[in-house]
Amino acid sequence: MQAVKDHKFSSIENIQKEFKNAGYICNRRIATTVYLAYHLGKPVLVEGPAGVGKTELAKTTAVFTGVPLIRLQCYEGLDESKALYEWKYGKQLLYTQLLKDKLDRIILKEERLSESIDRLHRYDDIFFSPHFLEPRPLLKALQQEKGAVLLIDEVDKSDDEFEAFLLEILSDFQVSIPEIGTIECRTRPLVFLTSNNTRELSEALKRRCLHLYIPFPDATLEKEIIRIRVPGVSDKLQKQLVHFIQQVRNMEIKKVPSIGETIDWARVLLLLHSESLNPDLVRDTLHVILKYEEDIRIVQERIHPLTESAVRTSGG
Amino acid sequence: MDHTLREFIRALRNAGIRVSVSESIDAINAVKLIGYAGKEDLKNSLSASLAKTIREKEEFDACFDRFFSFDSFSDPDMTATCDRTYDSRSRLSSMLLSGDRAGLISSMIQSARQMNIAGIQFQTQKSMYVMRVLNAMGMDGVDRDIRLLLEEGTPAAQWEAAELAEARKYLIENVRDFVEKYYELFSLSATDQVIENYLRNSRLTNMEERYLHRMQQIIQRMVKRLNDLHSRKKKASRRGVLDFKKTLRKNIAYQGMLFETMWKTKKIERPDIIAICDISRSVSRIVRFLLLFLYGMNEEIARIRTFVFCSSMTEVTHLFEEYPVDQALARIQNGAGLDIMMGRTDYGRSFLDFRDKGMGSVTKKTTVLILGDARNNFYDPRTEILKTISERCKRLIWLNPESRSFWGTGDSEMPRYAPFCSLVRECNTINHLEAVVASLLRIH
Repeated sequence: MQAVKDHKFSSIENIQKEFKNAGYICNRRIATTVYLAYHLGKPVLVEGPAGVGKTELAKTTAVFTGVPLIRLQCYEGLDESKALYEWKYGKQLLYTQLLKDKLDRIILKEERLSESIDRLHRYDDIFFSPHFLEPRPLLKALQQEKGAVLLIDEVDKSDDEFEAFLLEILSDFQVSIPEIGTIECRTRPLVFLTSNNTRELSEALKRRCLHLYIPFPDATLEKEIIRIRVPGVSDKLQKQLVHFIQQVRNMEIKKVPSIGETIDWARVLLLLHSESLNPDLVRDTLHVILKYEEDIRIVQERIHPLTESAVRTSGG
Repeated sequence: MDHTLREFIRALRNAGIRVSVSESIDAINAVKLIGYAGKEDLKNSLSASLAKTIREKEEFDACFDRFFSFDSFSDPDMTATCDRTYDSRSRLSSMLLSGDRAGLISSMIQSARQMNIAGIQFQTQKSMYVMRVLNAMGMDGVDRDIRLLLEEGTPAAQWEAAELAEARKYLIENVRDFVEKYYELFSLSATDQVIENYLRNSRLTNMEERYLHRMQQIIQRMVKRLNDLHSRKKKASRRGVLDFKKTLRKNIAYQGMLFETMWKTKKIERPDIIAICDISRSVSRIVRFLLLFLYGMNEEIARIRTFVFCSSMTEVTHLFEEYPVDQALARIQNGAGLDIMMGRTDYGRSFLDFRDKGMGSVTKKTTVLILGDARNNFYDPRTEILKTISERCKRLIWLNPESRSFWGTGDSEMPRYAPFCSLVRECNTINHLEAVVASLLRIH
């Protein structure tokens, strides 16, 4: 297994190629960072605007490595018991009820109270053993025999406390559970953290990670992505729609269209059997790429020049 | 540790990128893995391990390009005369004459390292470093060679001497460029610190325009620190200890059985602020920084209303709702499009306007912050309005950019206004501003 993995991560070119096979087009910078992350065993902090494929990167890496993807979605108020582990209280209670007779017998043997307590102490570890532990994503990722890809999504949404708590895991890949002790990882998981930059992450967290910034792709890369993800779109239409999207991204609107939306749009246009963009077609399908009424209005005002310029680039 | 990398990291630190020790170790490991061969890969991997924000990435790119572009000697116009040997000449002369650029570069870099060129800090040190590097490369040998050749006097020797002299000039030029580049990379930090200290304590009114951007950065840092400090306090105040008296009282209904627990809580004070700012020329710059501070703290401040005045007063709160802080400030600064007269400052008239427009929102929870020099151009000061404000609000703070000793001189009405204020402060440096804002946020 390890050898196979090592082979897959043997060079930057290889990673880029394998990613492409898995349907994820990335530039050399991304591939280099993944390469480093694997070989240095460091987590990667991925930042960038919404919808540039930050989460997708982790998913693809999991597919390509052949290990499970374990995902932890962060939100305000996320805490240890939801991220790391929890005791199965129900099971513990049930078992104490079921074993009541047994326990009584154990205690009955002793005459004095202190002796019974001593006796009980000998058994108390049973109820705080791995059998009663409910692993949550972080612990699960550490326990995977063959390694895993751990995706900590939107870490900027979590609280400062949670961020601090992540530090131990990210630097040593181990967690301490007071009742059991320290649990170390079997195989180091490959960790991706994503952030939309809604708040500045702490220095300490950044220090422990490699940092990757993914901007919106340039026209060539985006065309490549469309070609791979939506096969069947004609070359001409590809050029036109990518050019159109790139123009829209430069406009002052509330939410610029992401790659996901470009792909959706390409699919829609494919369904409509369109060969080329024209203002009417764009107007009818604008809601696929723009999600705010205001944005749609702004773009609609300039729909003619935008479409014309897009059509011109494809030489049609 | 790799010498090149170490120097690069120093250069990064000078450019304002914070690089910790653990990050440098990552960088070393990354370079071990990637090697120096591919420049693009090297850049990507160093960027991943060293630059951790978007701003830092930009700085990093610039710094990387500058740093790794060095190792080039500009194309010499001397032609390498190949078959001749220069065994009798010094090593440097022979390298110069045979046009051995690689040799010259490595010799230059080596000498520069010996001379600890990364220690260069000031403009004035440049020529000294040029001299040192040249000497370490063996410049005296070249000079001696030229002298000997001239003494020899044969035409061939004359010609060679001329050529060598030409090459010598070329060498000096290149070393000078080299030192210049190093200066750009390494000199910033010492001066950076000095400038920051200087900026924090210098009077905002006579700040030079070119430092304004820098100031903004400093303020942003301070704002972040204050925010961190107070968000922690806020959290601490949420936690409480058991309030035993309250618990007992509450549980009388259950015959004294302690069912419900009551906790002590601290009240979090999120101040409600009304800022009244004089935007006449003499004060406008400080207004800018004060508002930058206040609006940066909007998480900790419940509500801010901002009024500006000169000859008359108007409210500008809506500007901050519509535009980003920078733009709103720019709009206020030039006073264009505001419903305001930009003549001579008239505090009395402005207070009158405030009574009509803003007095209604002054409550017992409000902190009123007035920023102005109280120079009233001998108009009626209307202290009675200030008195009303001070009676209605929780705190009235007057910030005056003038030094205390000038208060009351000429047309300054400060002594008449001061008795109605709960706090009067001189405020003309960033440090003063920080102190004021911090005191606004204190939990009581």
